[in-house]
Amino acid sequence: MSYFVQVVVDGLSNGAIYAALALAIVLVHRATGLVNFAQGGMAVAATFVAFALTRAGVPVLLALLAAVVFGFVLGALLERGVMRHFERGDPDTAVVATIALLVLLTGASAFFFGYEPQPFPSLFPNRTFEVLGVFVSFRSIGTILVLIAVMVGLQLLFRSTKLGLAMRAVADNPESSALSALPVSRLLMIGWGLAAGLGAVAGVLVAPQLFISPGMLDFVLVYALAAAILGGLDSPVGAVVAAAFIGVAENLAGAYLDVVGDDLKIAVPFVAVMVILVVRPQGLFGRKTTVRV
Amino acid sequence: MSLLELDGVSASYGHADVLHGVSFVLPDNGATGLLGANGAGKTTTLRAISGMVRTTGRIVFDGRDITGLGPDRTAALGIAHVPEGRGTLGQLSVRENLLVGAYRRRDRKQIAVDVDYCLDLFPNLRERVGSNAAALSGGEQQMLAVARAFMAKPRVMLLDEASLGLAPSTARRVYDAVVRLRREAQVAMVVVEQNANLAFSVVDDATVLETGRVALQGSSAELLGMDAVRRAYLGG
Amino acid sequence: MATATRPAPAATTTPPRSVVTRAAAAVAGLAVAVVLVVAPLVSSPYINFQLASIMVFAVALLGLNVIMGYTGQVSLGQSAFLGLGAYITAYGVLNDWPIALSLLLSAVVPAAVGMLVALAAARLRGLALAMITLALPIIGVPLARRFDGFTGGSQGQVVSWLRAPESLGLANDQWRYYVVAVIALVAFLLVRNLVRGRIGRSFAIVKENEAVALSMGVSPYRTKVLAFTIASALGGLSGFMYLAVVQYTSPETLVFATSINLVAAMVIGGSASIVGTALGALYYVLVPVLAGQVNSSRTALISGAVLLAVLFVLPAGLVSLPRRLARRRSARRGTRTAPHDTADDAATPTSTDGSAPAVPAPAATTTDQHP
Repeated sequence: MSYFVQVVVDGLSNGAIYAALALAIVLVHRATGLVNFAQGGMAVAATFVAFALTRAGVPVLLALLAAVVFGFVLGALLERGVMRHFERGDPDTAVVATIALLVLLTGASAFFFGYEPQPFPSLFPNRTFEVLGVFVSFRSIGTILVLIAVMVGLQLLFRSTKLGLAMRAVADNPESSALSALPVSRLLMIGWGLAAGLGAVAGVLVAPQLFISPGMLDFVLVYALAAAILGGLDSPVGAVVAAAFIGVAENLAGAYLDVVGDDLKIAVPFVAVMVILVVRPQGLFGRKTTVRV
Repeated sequence: MSLLELDGVSASYGHADVLHGVSFVLPDNGATGLLGANGAGKTTTLRAISGMVRTTGRIVFDGRDITGLGPDRTAALGIAHVPEGRGTLGQLSVRENLLVGAYRRRDRKQIAVDVDYCLDLFPNLRERVGSNAAALSGGEQQMLAVARAFMAKPRVMLLDEASLGLAPSTARRVYDAVVRLRREAQVAMVVVEQNANLAFSVVDDATVLETGRVALQGSSAELLGMDAVRRAYLGG
Repeated sequence: MATATRPAPAATTTPPRSVVTRAAAAVAGLAVAVVLVVAPLVSSPYINFQLASIMVFAVALLGLNVIMGYTGQVSLGQSAFLGLGAYITAYGVLNDWPIALSLLLSAVVPAAVGMLVALAAARLRGLALAMITLALPIIGVPLARRFDGFTGGSQGQVVSWLRAPESLGLANDQWRYYVVAVIALVAFLLVRNLVRGRIGRSFAIVKENEAVALSMGVSPYRTKVLAFTIASALGGLSGFMYLAVVQYTSPETLVFATSINLVAAMVIGGSASIVGTALGALYYVLVPVLAGQVNSSRTALISGAVLLAVLFVLPAGLVSLPRRLARRRSARRGTRTAPHDTADDAATPTSTDGSAPAVPAPAATTTDQHP
């Protein structure tokens, strides 16, 4: 029994990481109707900023804040300087543009810091404590708590602030929003900035576990995409729940199903996503609207 | 004192010119209509005013040249465009749509008062205030579009085919509210309308467009007195 | 107007051309053909390897273009079919199947897999479909590692096959080049005819508007399943070619990154275009090679920058370059093309701040569809 709980707790901890990036994907999708493959690249670039700072002796928490700010600026600049050009055109081209950004950002990170994975200091004490026979690391708890805070923050932003309302309006219909004097282009920039800042949080949270490298988030991004789509792409809560589900499901399957084992764990969320999407195409929490790639 | 003045305004989509030197004047608190067949350039004229289409010529609003300003800028100056097809934000609730309309305003208390005024103006909306705009009927969406435009406290409202696809009684209710807005809130109106009976219930004068050019201009009484206009737009 | 050519299945031939340009195109085509035939005889094995690789990925891209370019359904799983085709071929070679059987099964088995996936997923659209196709390489890699009896596990399979017949006096690299060139030629001709025919028109209609397709008696679901099946078959076929050229396959062959790069190359070359497909393959193979020659540690940086630059300058792909140049030249001379889109009151505006009309102006597309 305690083994089971252990597996679930570990799964939740993984799920929290997926969720952080999934939230960023949801944010950009809400703001621009695009799926942003560069999300992982932006997050890694920001995490490297934190990495450089911690190596220079800056405390991790401060480095995290700096990374978030850097991420925000990076995201806003990329939206303004690059993505703006593609937002009105063919959606396929826009998606490929985000792929180009991913390649470019990964290349830039590698150019400055190399491809070798390097250790990254943890935000939380590297210890575990025991509750009822289950070992829980401070890192897991910390990650989950940070994530819940971010999710609640986003939900508040979207539901109860003027900025959030304006962002939702622009995502819904940019042309019509402009008729109500909403500064559409600035709101799109803010959306990308927030998403990239969020990505920085995900990067700093996951880096101690994975070691920091330019490709660190590639797999996390795939999980995050799965979670975002499963959650319906527009719902922060949906993305987090889906990410937790994916984290737990893959861990349980890996632990208890011999056919699955450690190597095929990754198939579990995808099979689940496939089954669910075929049954319910709008995702678990999505409303029934057509999705644009 | 004129509030809005168009002087030789032309507009084009890509290579196709759709407006050729349209001019008219809208006085303060006035209401003017744009009539004409499909494709005559009525909608494009409204789009030119709110900056949604490439334009040449001169558009002066409240003493200021606004030619070439984008829709968010013209909206911020006090031009509220109720577009054809309504443009309601489907995934947002009725109340949220109204608040988006008030985006530029800082007078929080007055916003609440105005939301209430809108819900009085359109009692249907009061019942649906929490539901998503996408779930509303066509008539309710049109009402919401007008109400949202009003929430910006505009000096002038550009109303595009507000009766399109609505049952006659519903269209009548929308226009009754428009008349009230003009009277009670001193909002000037530029009205594009296929149904001239509805249009003439609001406007003082009108411009008839034909293939992007001004064909006729005159007061409502003058235009209604012309056989040609009556035949073309009033079905008799 | 980039959107205007969209409904036409074969964008390169839609505008009626003058005799001069047609002759020029024929001469250019002939020149390319001659170069392609002669090149391997005078080039180093390394060059021949690169040329043959271009053919391999051209066929993979051709498949991707069928589903994504022509039918408008995002697929992020093309590498899985490439890998599957390569594995089947390797298995066939190691078990002494006749080559024709390997060739056949390398296309048929992926087609069947693709069809099964599409039967389940083709009702979805956009991202959901992208997600499911993305799962194919993601799951495919660990599966390939797991079933090492069939795949050779993580080490992969080294296969030494397709040696040049002694009587021809060709080196192995030359012989393999000609084999894949013939396969690529056949694949291109088949797809070219396909997309210009009735099926191609149904692809285009489904891409443009599924509701319209339904009203015209074209089932979007069946069309998408068909397109995906063809795309998978071509992916598997390119796997056969891959093994012929590389003589080795491993789980690396089908990684997700390959799918992503294929999508990028397809857009770069020009989607829904046969010539664009070939240009995309050229880009796919050559840019990493050239970037690596400039500075191997900056390959990613350079490819990313090139990709972005192409997207900025030529959003319709490399295939649109001649058209762009021609337009620029005529613009300089002051002779504009006559306006052909009739925008009425209902037309979508060309420019508003931050707005994103998702569909092209209906007036423009319908007038172009019936010239």
